[in-house]
Parts: sequence; structure tokens; C-alpha cells
Amino acid sequence: MSRFTDEELMQKVQAGYMVEGPEDMTEGYRKALRVQLTVQADTELMSAPSYWMAARYAPSTNTQVSAHAIIQDELAHANIAYRLLEDIGESKEHLVYGRQPHEFKHPYGFDQPLDNWAELVVATGFFDRAGITLLTDVHENTSYAPLKRALVKIGMEETFHLRHGEVWMRRLAKAGGEARELVQRAVDWMFPMTIEWFGLPDDMKRHSGQLDFKLKGLTNDQLRQVWMASTVPLCEELGLDAPAHWDEAKGEYVLDYPFPCQYDAVDKHWAFDEGEISWDAVFERWKGRGPMNEIYVESVQRSRMDVERWLAA
Amino acid sequence: MSGGRDLWSAPLDEPPEDRVQGTWNLLQEVLDPEIPISLPELGLIYGVAYENGVARIDLTFTATACPCMEFIREDITDRLELEHWIDSVELVEVWDPPWTSERITPEGRDKLKKLGVSA
Repeated sequence: MSRFTDEELMQKVQAGYMVEGPEDMTEGYRKALRVQLTVQADTELMSAPSYWMAARYAPSTNTQVSAHAIIQDELAHANIAYRLLEDIGESKEHLVYGRQPHEFKHPYGFDQPLDNWAELVVATGFFDRAGITLLTDVHENTSYAPLKRALVKIGMEETFHLRHGEVWMRRLAKAGGEARELVQRAVDWMFPMTIEWFGLPDDMKRHSGQLDFKLKGLTNDQLRQVWMASTVPLCEELGLDAPAHWDEAKGEYVLDYPFPCQYDAVDKHWAFDEGEISWDAVFERWKGRGPMNEIYVESVQRSRMDVERWLAA
Repeated sequence: MSGGRDLWSAPLDEPPEDRVQGTWNLLQEVLDPEIPISLPELGLIYGVAYENGVARIDLTFTATACPCMEFIREDITDRLELEHWIDSVELVEVWDPPWTSERITPEGRDKLKKLGVSA
């Protein structure tokens, strides 16, 4: 039985109270935190096989080291988030090894194949920027003290990932020719993919409790704006087309395509010309998972059972 | 957030009298790409020399698999070459003695402590 009611805890955290452990939580708080940490942990975990399979395209041993260091960081960040989930009664063993591929909660973007070096660097430039956007907000605003402390180091390491992505995007874009075309092609599918990652627009957002319990500070639309405020100018500076622009009258970034819209995962193509679709259709697509979902999850889980069996023999 | 370049100042108007010390001072502005402490504070710079517009930097990395080697090299070169009294930069990689956390300076340790990172 919690010491507080949901209402009392919401008021306390809004006034600055920091939750240190399960004894301070209500069931509502624990559930909201569990959802948030599961998405965070699964996202970090599934970025690892996604980047790992693309790291083979690294153009030198030095860049190979950098790419693998990013993968190592992502696995470590996942480990921290699963560890925090254990503190609130979840089983890391079950979460990592006991779930089916479709049960993981990472964004649809990490169900897609990264097919060349340009796609890997745009992924670290865009997806890791989204990660930083989300986690910086959590770090600045969360009422859960153990998570706030864990995010200090995670934030520093993500900075390096982002720089890796942006430096390489710059190099490839400046090189022109095929390199530039490949970066543009990656931007074409990954920009809308990241925009969608931030989820339902605020006017449709179902009540989640994450804002009420101060597990985050910004809304989905605000987070999308923060991400675009870095990403759109970067693309403009590199001469890459990004489907969004700054709207002076509205004082915000505005998308130049119907949102949300349908995605063809085989051709990596967003059907802008087919117009806006419903969010139910988006959820249906997410639920069906993307082409690499089973392969990525299997790559994480495959040897666990064999080795457990060997050790038990 | 740009990692190693957050503290860069504008180039000096006049070349420093002591070019070697001047070069060390510039290196204090070059930060580790992940952690906001400088390369000298981290103990990565083993020596500085200057002759005829060429700055020579002896440096090491925290590990042979340091993922940020390329960024660190670029940051040092780009910052030093902003100065009109430095025409080029020669970077010499040194692995002996190997870097350990003992090489972090007291100032570096204080900064790391404030960031919640143990050394």
C-alpha cells in the first residue's frame, strides 16, 4: 500500500519532490515509470543490432572502432534502463530474453534495415538526436531520482554518437556525387521516420500520466519541435532537402507533407502523394512491426538458451 | 552540444611571447568529445613543441580502442590552426607510458567529480 494517493503524489512531484524508490510510489506512478523505462531500454537495446549489422560498412578500422563504441554504449544504456526496471519489480531476464519480437516497445525506426554507411551515419545523426531530445527532457524534468542520476553519463555518451553522425553526414554531403545521393536518400526516409517516433500529436494524446507524475516535461509536439530545431538547420546547412521549414507566422517548424502518412518498408518510401492517414493505421503498422524486427531480436536472444544449457550440463 | 569545441575562443590578436606556453593554453580549450574537461586536464598531452610555425603535440589516448581519436585529432588541429602564428600541426601518437586515470590533473578530477563521474 502506497504512502500516497495518486493525487497526492502528483501534487508532491509537481512541487519538486523526488521519488527514490518503490516505497514512495503509487501503483499509477510505477506503471507510468515502467512504460517509460521499457520504451527507453528497448530502444537502446534494439539500436545495437541495427547499428551492428550496418557497422560492417565502416570505411576504415578507425571508423569501425567508433561504430562499435556506439553499439557498446547503446547496450550499456539498455543495461542501465533494465537495471532500473528491476528496482521496480520487473525481470530483466524476462524483458530481454523472454519476450517475443513483437512485444518489444522500441520505435518502428529500429525495425528497419540500415543498408550502407550513409544510412548508419544518418541514423546516428537523426535517431540519436531523437534519443538525446527525449532523454534530455527526462533528465531535466523527471521526478524519479535514480533515473536522473543515470542519465548524466548516458547524455555525455550520446553526444559523441550525435557528433559521429553529423560529422559523417557533413563529409558525405560535401563529397557530392553518389555519397551525397545516398545521404539524401537516407534523409528522405529517416526524417519522417523520426518525426513519427515522437508519437501522437498533442490534440489527440491520450492521458498517460507521464506528465502528471513529472516523468517528463515536454509534450510530444514540443519534443518534435526541439528535434526539428536542430535537424532542419543541419540539413539546410548541408544542402540536403528535409520536408519541413520554419514558419515565421506560426513561430514553429511546419512539416511539408501529410502527417501521418503511409510507409512502404520494402522500398523505404513515404507515400506523401497518397495523403494523410489515420493514427489507427499508424498503430496498425507499428503493431505489425518492421522487416528487421525478428532478425534484430533473434540476434540478441539466439545464444542465450544454448549457453545456459551448456552451463547447466 | 558539440563535444570538444564548446570552449573555443577567437584567435589571439598578437602571437604569445612564449609560443609553447601559448600552445598549451590553446589546448586547454580543446575538450574531450564526451566529457567537458580539457585534453591537458585529462592527461592526454605528453608534450608540446613549437618551431617555425609548426606546433608539435605528443599525445596519447585513454585506450587503443578510443572511439574518439579522429575527433580529438581534428579538434586539436582545427583549434591550433585558427592561430595565424601556427601554420601547421604535427600530431605524434605516444603509447609509452600508457595512459591511466592517474594522469588526470587535480583540476580535471574536481570537474569530473562535479559531473558525477568518478576517476
